Amino acid sequence: MSSPFEQVIVTSEVERWEDSDLSLLETLDHVLNRGLVIAGEITISVADIDLIFVGLNVLVSSVETAHETLRKRQSE
Amino acid sequence: MKLYVYCLAEGIDALHEPVQGVFGAPVRLLKTEDLSLLVSDLTADAVPVTRENALSHAAVVRSILDRTTPLPFRFGTLVTEQQLRNYVSARKPALDAKLALVRGCIEMSVKIIREISQIVQSGLVESDQDNKQGTGAAFLAEKRRELLGGELMEAEASRISAWLQEIVADSIRAEQINLRPTERLVLAAAHLVERDKIRQYREKIAEARKDRPKLHFLFSGPWPPYSFANIELEFKTQFRVS
Repeated sequence: MSSPFEQVIVTSEVERWEDSDLSLLETLDHVLNRGLVIAGEITISVADIDLIFVGLNVLVSSVETAHETLRKRQSE
Repeated sequence: MKLYVYCLAEGIDALHEPVQGVFGAPVRLLKTEDLSLLVSDLTADAVPVTRENALSHAAVVRSILDRTTPLPFRFGTLVTEQQLRNYVSARKPALDAKLALVRGCIEMSVKIIREISQIVQSGLVESDQDNKQGTGAAFLAEKRRELLGGELMEAEASRISAWLQEIVADSIRAEQINLRPTERLVLAAAHLVERDKIRQYREKIAEARKDRPKLHFLFSGPWPPYSFANIELEFKTQFRVS
């Protein structure tokens, strides 16, 4: 029997997700959206946008924001 | 030189093994007050959101999860040592309260997705009368359907949230519920679960999935308590696109 403390991701899919995609998606949702914040001291770069693949923005609001930022820049 | 900050913890006097953080930088302990912070020394002025950096941040926080329950910092926290010491000093009572809340617990995440079409079609079906109307009337009818669809989805999310809360109530210490955080999500829930209740909690979630087979679940954990760490209501995230 597996340890109850082992990290797992379970889904009943709307779409087909690879486990690695889900793991990354959930990790991004936690590390980008949540946690302690020292006001005004979060500075991240989305230049390396390749990790944001089709479908991620369905669930991760911060990634949606990153997409929007990129779209605005591209339209300028 | 700045410090990239991963998490804050109590009861950690040393790292058991070398840990690499963002940019592959070594992680060290910084002690202030009676707390320990996991940090890396960086010369960069921003931290790119890459797969590697995001996973490294998560891995560093997770590296001490079997020894204590840390308060994770959000990805991208880059400050001077003095800023960090001032932050901890000024907010010590609030940080102590947060540490007491999460002590002995982990976070579990539940996201529930329902197809919009399922909700709207169940309550709003285009009528024959709508089809016979002119362009203006048809436009207004469509707007009415959109508004009513939104109300139906709000009501649906509230009902599902109450149902889920009742199921897990005995297994959790605290929860954060976000109704309809994105267009397709009914809700995103974070549950703070005592470590010896993880198995019980998982059984409850399994029951919930059987009970509502038409709902799509994304269930994950254990996580460090990212959703229960923040003590600030105001924050500012800067995206740098280059």
